[in-house]
Amino acid sequence: MILFRKIKPKYCLLLLAVFFIFPAHAQALQSHTAPEGLYVHQLAHIFFIAALCYLFWDIRRSSFPEKGWRFLQLFCIFMLLWNIVAFTGHWVGDFILPGDIIQESGYLSARMTAPLTPTKLLYYFTKLDHVFSVPAILCLYLCLRSLYLGAFKSEEEGK
Amino acid sequence: MNSLPMFPTDFTDMAGSLIIIVFSFLSLQYAYLLTKKQPDNFLWGFLFYFCMTLAAFAVSRAMGHLVKQVLLISGNTEQWKTLAPLAGGFNTLLMTSLAAVTIYYHKGIEGYRAIEEKAKSLKAANKELQQTGSKLHEMNAHLEEMVENRTKELSASEKKFRNFFINSKDMVYFCDADNRLVNMNASGLEMLGYAFGEPPRLELHNIFYNEDALDAYFEEILTRGFVEDLEVEFKKADGSIIYVLLSANAIHNEDGEFTGCEGIAKDLTRLKTMMAQLAASEKMASIGQMAAGVAHEINTPLGVILGYAQLLKDDFPADTEVGESLKAIERQTKACQKIVFDLLNFSRQSESSREDTSLNKIISEVIAVTEHSLSMDHITIHKSLAPNLDTVTADTEKLRQVFINLINNAHYAMEDMTSGDLYISTRNSNDSKEVIATFRDTGHGMTDAIRQNIFEPFFTTKPVGKGTGLGLSVSYGIIEELEGKIDVESPVIETESGDTTPGTAFHVILPVVPKKQHGITASHSETGRFR
Repeated sequence: MILFRKIKPKYCLLLLAVFFIFPAHAQALQSHTAPEGLYVHQLAHIFFIAALCYLFWDIRRSSFPEKGWRFLQLFCIFMLLWNIVAFTGHWVGDFILPGDIIQESGYLSARMTAPLTPTKLLYYFTKLDHVFSVPAILCLYLCLRSLYLGAFKSEEEGK
Repeated sequence: MNSLPMFPTDFTDMAGSLIIIVFSFLSLQYAYLLTKKQPDNFLWGFLFYFCMTLAAFAVSRAMGHLVKQVLLISGNTEQWKTLAPLAGGFNTLLMTSLAAVTIYYHKGIEGYRAIEEKAKSLKAANKELQQTGSKLHEMNAHLEEMVENRTKELSASEKKFRNFFINSKDMVYFCDADNRLVNMNASGLEMLGYAFGEPPRLELHNIFYNEDALDAYFEEILTRGFVEDLEVEFKKADGSIIYVLLSANAIHNEDGEFTGCEGIAKDLTRLKTMMAQLAASEKMASIGQMAAGVAHEINTPLGVILGYAQLLKDDFPADTEVGESLKAIERQTKACQKIVFDLLNFSRQSESSREDTSLNKIISEVIAVTEHSLSMDHITIHKSLAPNLDTVTADTEKLRQVFINLINNAHYAMEDMTSGDLYISTRNSNDSKEVIATFRDTGHGMTDAIRQNIFEPFFTTKPVGKGTGLGLSVSYGIIEELEGKIDVESPVIETESGDTTPGTAFHVILPVVPKKQHGITASHSETGRFR
C-alpha cells in the first residue's frame, strides 16, 4: 500500500508512453538462454552465503549460553565453506573440456586426464564438496539435539 | 601423476548424499520435538522451518546426486541429461528458500529476545514477589504474634482496670462533653442510692447539691484540667446529702478537644458525722468538767445557806415576814441544789446504782405518769414496745428521768398545736447488741442551729422561767454514763418509705447486757457506784 502511494500516476503514464513510442524494444516477454540457470544458481549460492554470514554474526552477537548454538555456528562455517566450494565448482566446471574426463569402461572408470592443471585439480577438489556439507549437517544435528536435551532438562528442573 | 580416478569423488558424493539425507531428517525430528515441547518459543519455530527447508534441499540435492550417479553408472546418460535441469532448478529454488528462511531468522530472534526479556522481567518480578511475599509472610507472622501479645496485654490491662472500676468501694464515673454521666460503677450508684440494674440518666448537675460547687468543679476541670480533693455535697436519689471528696480529670481527644471527664469520689459522710460527734462529745465533756467544778464549788455554800436558813426558821414564826423570807430562801436554795444535782448528773458526778432492767417497764411507768398531762393537750401516745426486748444495765431512776425529759420536750414541742402524736417504740438492734428506744413527736421540729446545741447545759428554747435548759444535757450525761448514745433526728425520715415528715425523734441507744454475764452484772449492779 505504501508502495502504491509512492508511485504517482503521471510516472506510470510516462512509462506507458515510452512503450508505445518505442514498440521494438518492448520488454513484455524475455527468452532465457542456457547460462541463465547457472547464474541463478550461483546467485542463490551468494544469497545463501550472505544469509549464513548473517546467521553466524547474529548468533555470535546474541551470545546464547547454550552449547547447541555453538554447533549452529560451526554449521554456518561449514555451510559457508561448502557454498564457496560449490560456487567454485560450478564456476570451474565451465573450464573443464569433454576430453579432460574420460571413461574407459563405464562411468565408475572415469578418470581425469593429464596433464593435471590447477583448474583440473581445483575442479576435482570441488567435486569433494561433501567434505564440508556432511560435517555441517552433523553440526546441525548436534545443535538441535543439544538444544532439545537442554530444553528437556530445564523443563524437568522447572517441575 | 598421469591421471586421477573420478571414483573417490563419485563415492564421496553418494555416501555424503545419504548421510546428509539421514541427518537432515534427524535434525528435523529434534526441531519438531523442540517446537512440540515449547510451542511458544520463536527460536524453535525458526529452527523447525530451517530444518524443514534444509531437509527438502538435502532431499532435492542429495537425491538428485544419487539419481545422477545411478543413472550414469547404469549408462542412462541421456535420461540424466533430461532430469539434470529439473534437479538443478529444484536445488536453486530450495537453496534460495533456505537462504530466505535464514534471513527470516532475525524475526525469530527478535521474538525470542522479547520473550526472554519478558521472561527475565517476569522471573525478576516473580522473585521480587516471592521475596516480598516471604517478607510479608514473616511480617504477618510477626504481626500476628505482636497483635496477639498486644491483645493479651490489652486484655489484662482492661481486666485490671475493669476490676478496679467494678470493685472500687469509691465512686468511679465517666461523663461526656455535655456532662452526662455515661458510666458509673456499682459503688457510685449505691452511694447515690440508685439501683445498679437500671442506672438512671444523670448529669453532673443532678448529683451536685450545691451549684457553686459544680461551677467550681467545671472551672477547675476546664482551666487546670483536673480537680483534686474537692469536698462537695452530692444529692442522693432520696434527696439526702452525702459528703464526698472528689478528684477528677478532664479527657481530651487527639485534637486536644475536651470530650468529658473521669472522676473518683470518696464518701466522707460517715467520717464527717463521726468527726462532728467527736467534736460534740469533746465539747460536752469539757462542759461537763466545768459544770462539775462549778457544782462542787456552789454545792457547799448552798448547803451552808440552807442549813442556816433552816436554823433561823426555828427562831421566827412561820407566819411572820421573816419566816416567809426564810421559807423563800430555803425553797430557792433547794432549787439551786436541784440544779447542782442535775449538773452533777450531766457530768456523771452523781451517785448511781445499776441493775438489769427492761426499757419497756421503765417506759410504761413513765407513760403512766405523763399520759394524763399529754392527753390534756390532745397529744396521743402511740406505743410500740418490742415484746422480747433485751435487758440493759442501768440506773432505773436516772433512765426514768431521761425518758420523762424526752416526753416533756415532745410535749412542749406540740403544746401550742391543736393536737399531736407521740410515737414511743423500742426494738433490738439488727446485731442484737443494743436496744433502741425512740421518742418521736409531730411538732415543728428544730433548726440545724438548735439541733447542734440542744445537749449543751442551760441551752433552751423555752421562755425564761419555764425551763433551766438542763433536761437534755442531763439526759445526755446519763446515757453517756451508761455507755450508750442519744441521737436526734429532725426532720424525721421514715425508714420504710424514705419520706421526710416534720417533727423530732430522739433515739436512745443502750448496750445490751451479755446473756452469760447477767448474774455477774446483777451482783455488781447492786453495789456498783460510779462517780
